[in-house]
Amino acid sequence: MNVLNKLIQSLDSFLPRLLAVLMGLLVVDVAWQVMTRFVLPKPSSFTEELARFLLIWISLLGAAYAYRLHSHLGLDLFVKKLSPKNAMMVFRINCVLVAIFAVVVLIVGGSHLVSLTWLLGQQSPVLNISMAYIYSVVPISGAIFLIYSISFLINVNNINAESEQ
Amino acid sequence: MISLILLIVFAILLFINLPIALAIIFATLIAMLYSIDTLPALTTIAQRLTVGIDSFALLAIPYFILSGYLMGQGGIAKRLVDFAKVLVGRLPAGLAYVNVISCALFGSISGSSVAATSAVGGFMIPAMEKEGYKRSFSAAVTVTAATTGMLIPPSNILIIYSLASGGVSVAALFVAGYIPGILVALLLMVACALYVRKHNVQPISKDAIGAFWPSFIGAIPSLFLIFIIIGGIIGGMFTPTEAGVVAVLYSLILSVIIYRELKISDIYPILIKSVVTTAIVMLLIGASSAMSWLMTYESIPQDISRLLLTLSDNPLIVLLIINLILLVVGTFMDLTPAVLIFTPILLPVVETLGISPLHFGIMMILNLSIGLCTPPVGSVLFIGCSIAKVNLVDVIRPIIPLYIAMVIALILVTVFAPLSEALPRYFGLI
Repeated sequence: MNVLNKLIQSLDSFLPRLLAVLMGLLVVDVAWQVMTRFVLPKPSSFTEELARFLLIWISLLGAAYAYRLHSHLGLDLFVKKLSPKNAMMVFRINCVLVAIFAVVVLIVGGSHLVSLTWLLGQQSPVLNISMAYIYSVVPISGAIFLIYSISFLINVNNINAESEQ
Repeated sequence: MISLILLIVFAILLFINLPIALAIIFATLIAMLYSIDTLPALTTIAQRLTVGIDSFALLAIPYFILSGYLMGQGGIAKRLVDFAKVLVGRLPAGLAYVNVISCALFGSISGSSVAATSAVGGFMIPAMEKEGYKRSFSAAVTVTAATTGMLIPPSNILIIYSLASGGVSVAALFVAGYIPGILVALLLMVACALYVRKHNVQPISKDAIGAFWPSFIGAIPSLFLIFIIIGGIIGGMFTPTEAGVVAVLYSLILSVIIYRELKISDIYPILIKSVVTTAIVMLLIGASSAMSWLMTYESIPQDISRLLLTLSDNPLIVLLIINLILLVVGTFMDLTPAVLIFTPILLPVVETLGISPLHFGIMMILNLSIGLCTPPVGSVLFIGCSIAKVNLVDVIRPIIPLYIAMVIALILVTVFAPLSEALPRYFGLI
């Protein structure tokens, strides 16, 4: 319980910083591409690939962080009409479903994807890094989704107080 | 059978407010397990979540999101409003026109309606109240006018459509959006004129409008952005993605160094906001990419196509049916998921009838933008109401004439394909 709270705290401070850095890099990277194309005779070739990989990391890690902020698009139309007690129950079901998604799709499916690409030795064409490293963000994102969904499940009451502020 | 499972699971999960992206993934997974083994199915979905967003064209989206936030907070929106004021402020329904034009101008440098609503609405709704307009009407105008940003380039949703349609050129879509977007703005202004005539609003006071030249000169750097982005794309100087990064750098320099309305410390929260918005869209794109993989695998679009074509094979009637379906979808689903889900289903139908994917895309996005301003679910409407601090119920009456204006625009865009196709053809993009 205490361990979980500590974990959440460090995730909450580390994750947004990491994401901001990745986003900043994404801007610098393609800005560099545009600059080199107009200035240098030979445009840089690695920037496009790096940008695509950064986008994958930002998207999957950012998706987990967006879940933490309850920012994902949903249809709250029917849930709003429920009594507080039923709404709480539906919220719990939601958390369990997110946890299942995290474990089954992101962690199990993602790990299998990573090990498959590792075994096949698939490498990116320009940067020559193993695609397994790129795809490893899937199970990592799954772990973060899982941690947040468990913490929501345990702290349902605190969350309601938080969102009412 | 597979489509039925897909539909039922999706509906149930939406009903309990699971994030739409996850509802799509679960529905896809369960339908997949019907014909594929568990581990390959899971791996396929995990793979689609990464491969589905692994595209250089999609990178334009985070850049336009980021530049939109920078423009909203960095004083660019304010300059555009001031400029629109000296243009049309003196006319009878002056401030209402200013609102519409500011939204369209903001839409022509940023990629999202939500950004336009909060940026322009923040200035215009209080200003309109001072001149005797009801807050509810001002909110209604802002909300509907902000949707022109979906059609007027740069537009994130057009980039998403380009992906969902399997490769309609982003540059062609961008150029195609101009005439329909301006058409919507003009019809909204007509509706505003009729409202003002009926409600007898005082004409705007002279001091509320600035002098022409200072406002014009103040807005030039902001307006120059339109020239850089769209000129750069049409002229083949850079790709839409590169244009996006140029927009980020330009609006950063403009708001931090030239207008000095943004501090360096403001940038960190803007980066985080942009990441979150980007990730929400990207997860939806990845999830939809898994679903369209399954739909192609099971040839579901062909089945739906056959079904729709048994009703009629007259292109106009089919488009009418599709428009009605989309209007209903739009009332309860956000633009991005609706485009991602329905493009792969409906595009094959209209293509067999000889309708171009360009025309269809513009029609679909105009249609679904109406849904952004309608309850029960309308992201732009909700933001507009919260900025104007009015109840949703109060906005309904004044917004109805504006809906009618948008529906008229939709009918025109549906029936007259050249409205969307003439400009890209002129520039040799199709």
